Amino acid sequence: MNSVNVSRRHFLQSGAVAGGGLVVGFSLSGCSSAAAPLPVANTKGAWTPNAFIQVLPDNTIRFYTARSEMGQGVTTGLATLVGEELDVNPLDMDIRLAGVHEDYENPLFGMQGTGGSTSIRAHYIPLRQAGANTRALILEAAARDMGVPRSSLSTDNGFVTQGDKRYPYAAFVETAQSLAIDADAPLKSAADFQYIGRDSRRVDAIAKATGTAQFGIDVDIPDLHYAVVVRPPVPGATVRSAEVTAARGMSGVTDVFEIGNGVAVVAQSFWQAKQAAAQVEVDWHSVALGQLDTKALRADYTAALDAGDGVEGPDEGDVEQALSAATTVHEAEYWAPLLAHAPMEPMNATVWIDGDSAEVWTGIQFPFAVPAIISRVAGIPAEKVQFHQTYLGGGFGRRGSVNYLREATEIAVQSSKPIQLVWTREDDIQQGPFRPASLMRIKAGVDADGQLTAWDAARAGGNISPDSFRTLLPAAFPWMGDAVAEGVAQLSEMYFEKFATDDSSTEGLFEDYDHANTRVTHMTVDHDLPLTFWRSVGHSYTAFAKESMIDELAAAASVDEVAFRLQNTQNSPRLNNVIRVAGEHMAKMNPPKGHHLGFAAHNSFHTDVAEIAEVSVENGQIRVHKVTCVLDCGQVVNPDIVRAQMEGGVVYGLTAALYGGLNLEAGAIKESNFHDYPMLRMNESPEIEVIIIDSGTEPTGVGEPGLPPIAPAVANAVFKATGQRLRSLPLQLA
Amino acid sequence: MIHFMLNGQSVQTDADPDTPLLWVVRDHFKLKGSKFGCGAGLCGACTMHVDGAAAKTCVTPIAAVADKSITTIEGLGTPEDLHPLQAAWHEHAVPQCGYCQSGQIMAAAALLDANPNPSSDEIDAGMSGNICRCGCYPRIKRAIQSVSENALAYDAMAQTEGRA
Repeated sequence: MNSVNVSRRHFLQSGAVAGGGLVVGFSLSGCSSAAAPLPVANTKGAWTPNAFIQVLPDNTIRFYTARSEMGQGVTTGLATLVGEELDVNPLDMDIRLAGVHEDYENPLFGMQGTGGSTSIRAHYIPLRQAGANTRALILEAAARDMGVPRSSLSTDNGFVTQGDKRYPYAAFVETAQSLAIDADAPLKSAADFQYIGRDSRRVDAIAKATGTAQFGIDVDIPDLHYAVVVRPPVPGATVRSAEVTAARGMSGVTDVFEIGNGVAVVAQSFWQAKQAAAQVEVDWHSVALGQLDTKALRADYTAALDAGDGVEGPDEGDVEQALSAATTVHEAEYWAPLLAHAPMEPMNATVWIDGDSAEVWTGIQFPFAVPAIISRVAGIPAEKVQFHQTYLGGGFGRRGSVNYLREATEIAVQSSKPIQLVWTREDDIQQGPFRPASLMRIKAGVDADGQLTAWDAARAGGNISPDSFRTLLPAAFPWMGDAVAEGVAQLSEMYFEKFATDDSSTEGLFEDYDHANTRVTHMTVDHDLPLTFWRSVGHSYTAFAKESMIDELAAAASVDEVAFRLQNTQNSPRLNNVIRVAGEHMAKMNPPKGHHLGFAAHNSFHTDVAEIAEVSVENGQIRVHKVTCVLDCGQVVNPDIVRAQMEGGVVYGLTAALYGGLNLEAGAIKESNFHDYPMLRMNESPEIEVIIIDSGTEPTGVGEPGLPPIAPAVANAVFKATGQRLRSLPLQLA
Repeated sequence: MIHFMLNGQSVQTDADPDTPLLWVVRDHFKLKGSKFGCGAGLCGACTMHVDGAAAKTCVTPIAAVADKSITTIEGLGTPEDLHPLQAAWHEHAVPQCGYCQSGQIMAAAALLDANPNPSSDEIDAGMSGNICRCGCYPRIKRAIQSVSENALAYDAMAQTEGRA
C-alpha cells in the first residue's frame, strides 16, 4: 500500500482532538467531570447522576439521548441500554433530546455527532455502565437509609424492592447524591437481559402518530419570522445583482437582502416569504460548474479511468500476473448518478439572537457544530449559544451538513429578528450537497477451480471529505479565522485530489472477497459539486459494482451464484455464514412463473447482509415483488427496530435503484420535486422479510447496511429475467 | 374573512384567500401536526380531511374550504385518547422519523371511512399519494389492516370465544 487513506472517521476524530474536544467517558461519580454545566432541565429536587439520567422527586426517570433521532430508532435503542442496567422500562422513561455538551460526544467520533451506523456500537457498553452505576448508587443509598444489608435489596422498574415492599428510586436520591462509586458496577450477562434483545414498541411512536412530536419546522417562538432564500440555479454561484423591489412590496414581507448563498426574503409567514421569493430576480455570477452537464460529467470520469493515473489504494500481490494466469477474466463498468437525500422534512433551522446570546432549534446530526457556527457567524461567544435538538424528519446524511444553520444565522443577524429558515422541496432536490456520482471499473480473474484470483478495481468521481471538511472545519476549529479556514479547506481539496484516497469513495469496492491479488485505484474528478454522506455512503454505489461483477463472474465461470460467493468468502466467516443462510433460504423459494430471484451480499458498517430480490419484468417495467434480507449485526438490542431498518434500507435503496438520478444541465439540477425525482410508493413497495442471525457478537451497524445489497440483487434478477446486464443506475431496460 | 370549522371549532381567518390551508393551520392556528413536504400536492405529508375526504392541503387555497369542516391529526386523536389507527401505529411500531405519519394516518382514516374493509390493492391505491422516505409502507399496511372491519370483527369474535 503506497497511499494515505484518510477516512471520515479519521478526519472527524483528528478534528475533534485538535479542537480539544476529545473527552470520552461518562461522569459516574455524581458530579460532572466537565467544566461546563450539563444542559439538562433544572427540575427542583432532581438528581442528575450523569449526563444521561435524571431521577425526579415523583420518580419520573428521565433519559437524555445524545444521538440524533432521525427515524433509525436510536432513542428507543439507547433508552433500552440504559434501562436494562438501571432497571427501568424504556417505555416508562421521560425521553429528552440532549443539548450540546462534551459528555454527549459519540465515543467513536470524539465529538457530538450521529452517523455511520455507530450509535448502538458506540454506546453499547458506556450507556449500560451509566445505568448500572446509577442503580448501584441507588441500592447503596437504600441500604444505608433502611439500615439493611444491600444484599437484601433488589430493583424492579424504578423501584427498590425488599421482599414484597417497593420503594421508589426517588426516595433514596438524597443519600445517593452524597455517595461516590469506587469501581464500575458489574454489567448483566446476556442471559439476564429483560429488555435488550426483545421486541418492544418505540418510545416515540405515540408522539409521532399524534402529530405531537416536535420537528425543527414545528418550532414556534414569539415574533418568529420566516425566511426563504432565492438560491442560484448552479450551486455555488453568487449574486451579481438582484431586483427585489416587487418582493419588498408584497404582503407580510419585512426584509429582503443578500446573504452568502443568495437573496433572503423574510416575512411574517412562510407562505408570504415563498410568494415574495418568486418575485426576486437575480443575475448570478457564472461559475465553472455552469458549463457541466451529466454527459460531460460522465465523459470526464471515463477519461480519468482511461488515463489510469489515480491515487493507488490497497495493492496486494501481482494483479497483472494473476489476470494473465486466470481461466476466466471479466471486465465491466458501472455507473451511479448524483442523488439528493430528499428527507421528508425539508431543511430548516430556527435562530433567535438576543444581544450577545442565542437560542437555536434544529434537527441536526452534528450538534457539536452548532455553538461554533452561531458564534462565528453572529460574533457572540459560543458558550452563550443554547441549542435545542428536535426530532429529525429524516437524516440519511443530509443533516450532517450544517449549511442551513449557517444561513439561518446569517439571516437572523441581518434582519435582527427571530428567524425560521425553511428550504423548499425544490431547494432540497437542487442545491445539494449530493451523493456523489461514480464510474467504477472492475477487472477480475477466476481460476479453473472457481477461485477468485485477481481484483482490479477503479473508481472515478468526487470525494465527500473536502466538502464535509469545508463545512465542519469552522466548527471544529472555532479559533481559526474565516480566511485561514478557507485556505485549509482548499489545501484539503488538493490533498484529496492528488495525494489521498477518501476511504468512503472506494469503501465496499474490494474488501469482501478472497482475492490474493488486489489493486484499487481512485481518480478524483472534482467539478465543485457539493457532496456529502448519503445513507451507506460509498457502499451505496460500490456494492452495486462489486455484487454485479461477482454475479457476472459466476455466470461467466458457469458456477452457481451462491456457491461462488461461498467459495470466495472463506476469509470473512460472518459474511460467509450470512450468504449460506440466505442461499439455503433462496433454494427453498418457489417463485411464480415469470418471477426471478437475484442475490447480493455485502458487508458495511461492520454488519453482513444478504438480500434476495424476487423480480418480474412486465412490459419493460421492473417490478420487485419480494425482498428477503438476511443479516448478522451481532447482539441485537431491539429486533423489531432492526427489521424496520432493513425494511427502510431496502425501500430507500430500491427508490435509488429504480428511479434515483439527478441530471445536470448547464450546471443546474434539472429535477425539482417528487414528480421528476420520484420516490417509491406503497403500491410499488415489495413485501420484505427479514431474517436476523443472532451470533451474539458485539453489536454492529443497522441504520445503513440494509441498503447496499438491494440494487445489485435487483439487477442480478433482471439479468435472469431478460439476459440484460444493467450496469447503470437507475436500472432501465434497453 | 374566511370562516370554516377546524377540529369541530368555528374559526375564521383574514389570510390571503390564495394561502394554502396547510399554512393557515400551521402558522395562524399553530397546529403543527400537519407537515410541509413538497408544496405541490405530491407527497401527502399535509393531508387533512375536508368534509371527511382526504385533501392535500399544501395546494388547497383557504378560499376553497370556506364554510367547510376541516379535521387535522390533532382532531383525530390525542396521546391520551388515541384513534384506533394511532393505536395501531404504536402497536405495529410504524413510525421511523415520523414526519410523514400525520398525513399517512389522515389518508388511512379517510380510506377506512370510505371503505371499512379494503383489500391489499385498495390500501395501495388509497395510500399511494403519501410518500414515506423511511420506507414504513409494510408496517403502514399492516396497521391499516389491523383496524379494518374484518380484523376488528375477528378480534371481537376471538374475544367472545376466549381466544384473544
